[in-house]
Amino acid sequence: MRLTPAQIDTIKSTAQAVLGEGAQVTLFGSRVDDAAKGGDVDLMIEVSQPLAEPALMSSRIASRVSRAMHGRRVDVLLKAPNLMEQAIHRIATQQGVVL
Amino acid sequence: MKVAEGQWARLQFLSRVTQKECLYLQETDQRLFADPMTLESLQHIEADPVLAERLDAFVGRFGRLQDNLGDKLLPQLLDAMAEKTGAVIENLDRAEKLGWIDSADTWLEMRKLRNQMVHEYIEDMHILMSALQAGHRFVPVLIETAQRLTVQIGKLGPASAQDD
Repeated sequence: MRLTPAQIDTIKSTAQAVLGEGAQVTLFGSRVDDAAKGGDVDLMIEVSQPLAEPALMSSRIASRVSRAMHGRRVDVLLKAPNLMEQAIHRIATQQGVVL
Repeated sequence: MKVAEGQWARLQFLSRVTQKECLYLQETDQRLFADPMTLESLQHIEADPVLAERLDAFVGRFGRLQDNLGDKLLPQLLDAMAEKTGAVIENLDRAEKLGWIDSADTWLEMRKLRNQMVHEYIEDMHILMSALQAGHRFVPVLIETAQRLTVQIGKLGPASAQDD
């Protein structure tokens, strides 16, 4: 996994500030691969309660984390009981690393 | 405050573009949100070409106005006022300090949100609707920002030959 402990801390605290203490963050995509270079930060964040404003919440977390990582591109996929389960969620669960 | 004639002309041009973009965004915003948007109406978008076109117009106009303001008008105006310009984030922070935008963070959030407004791409209607409604709520903020920047431009004038 190519994230520093400080970056992991920022990601988790941002996710929990926006979505609550129970938010669980999974890193997936190229950043999981130690041999790759650079690349976007792909995050899946799971919560146990339905989300009224999913687009706004994911944009808020992505833009805050991106800012903390000096403009690095960050994408946030949300997993919640009221959101559609898509192939990308399964891939993230299978290939990702829980932070 | 006097600015070089070329820069003044460029600011005037961007200001005119902004005024048109504001008008078009407000019109499409009123049409798209005239009736309450529901998950059902979005689910049937493929059978409703008028709604699909309105939605595309809203997303396109929203994006063009935000990009014109943040990526073109703002750096040009900061430069004309001898303010330091830099990356988008730095310019937005400067604009927030000058009172031209309310929040650089919200501005960046809305840029990110735009990806989730694209109906061909977003398959979860909860996400599409949340993105569109957040965009709808942000329209007055964009219009207000455009007005503030336009007021600033109005305070500038072109340097004539004898000023040089």
